[in-house]
Amino acid sequence: MNILRQLELEHMKATIPDFGIGDTVEVHYQIREGDKERVQVFSGSVISLQGSGTRRSVTVRRLVAGEGVERTFPLHSPRVTEISVRDRGIVRRAKLYYLRDREGKATRLKPNLGKLQAPRSGAGSGLTKPAAE
Amino acid sequence: MTGTKTIGLLGKKLGMTQIFLADGTCVPVTIVQAGPCKVLQVKTAAAAELPEGHRTAANNRGKKGGKQPRPRQADGYYAVRLGFENKPARLCSKAELGDLKHAGLDHGMRFVKEFRLTAAPTQKPGDEVNVSVFDGVKFVDVTGVTKGRGWAGTIKRWSFSRQPTSHGNSLNHRTGGGLGRQHSISSGVPKGKRMAGHYGCEQVTVQRLEVVKTDTARNLVFLKGAVPGFTNGYLVLKKTIKNERLIENKPGLVVKNAAAKSMAKGK
Repeated sequence: MNILRQLELEHMKATIPDFGIGDTVEVHYQIREGDKERVQVFSGSVISLQGSGTRRSVTVRRLVAGEGVERTFPLHSPRVTEISVRDRGIVRRAKLYYLRDREGKATRLKPNLGKLQAPRSGAGSGLTKPAAE
Repeated sequence: MTGTKTIGLLGKKLGMTQIFLADGTCVPVTIVQAGPCKVLQVKTAAAAELPEGHRTAANNRGKKGGKQPRPRQADGYYAVRLGFENKPARLCSKAELGDLKHAGLDHGMRFVKEFRLTAAPTQKPGDEVNVSVFDGVKFVDVTGVTKGRGWAGTIKRWSFSRQPTSHGNSLNHRTGGGLGRQHSISSGVPKGKRMAGHYGCEQVTVQRLEVVKTDTARNLVFLKGAVPGFTNGYLVLKKTIKNERLIENKPGLVVKNAAAKSMAKGK
């Protein structure tokens, strides 16, 4: 294997939950307020996954008081402590930027009822840990 | 200000990526394969410092006074010559092989450089030098050959500004602009006027790159920031000549070698 990829693997988290575009997730993110640290939860739909290896990041969009808010999290940052999947969605795009032009009910994504597509487009994809590890 | 000159390492750029520190800071790093290097030759300031068996050279056969052993000249300065990456003997000239025999090698070395030192080196020919020479070193200077850009215009080569694309401008969008002076006392194009020409493919030293991490088992150095040249390009790594205390919080400086030399002279 390419030595650079090997080294990136060593700096990646061992497990990243399996989620994909259109899923609704909760991202637990450590923030610092003065001297204190606490965990903030940001939940919304995954509208973009990009990068590979240690650089892989996820963009989550949610509506706060009618205003769209997007945050991009580096998946392998030690500050992202947990990502949990709340809902699966069915989408036909790799990037859901069209949601930015929509309001209210139109922002709903088609739920994936019962049928889990495994594996999903893969949050950890781009680089996957070898099966042995 | 340059302080003591210590041994550095030869290496190879493996590429760039980013890593996270424990506090979550994301650092752009260049991963460099630094060593292991073979010591090919040790240079000494005085003849007395040569190893016992090396104080006399072989007899000058066929020459006047050829029967007497001739004292070997010292080099007049301290240095070690390092080699990095093996080169098969079939690719070497006989002179190269003969030279490397002193270090006990029967093959060549692809990248060979000399490091000047202020004190007598502790290494002997044939020794291996690895990334442990950078133990406790926080910043390094990295020398490499930049990517060649071929014939480049003034915008790329000298960071000139572009001219307007419209408002009556025609055919003069990326041109360099005026060249000369129009005074009666001194007309003509000033010496050193920056113009288009060959750019890149030149030796450049990036000073004061932070060592984020070293991997002694695999001889890797993680440097914060970029280093000159292509992936797999050869590099020379040295402890930085900058005063670490003074430069702690300043961003990295890129100095072309000619400029660095004139600066050093000025001091």
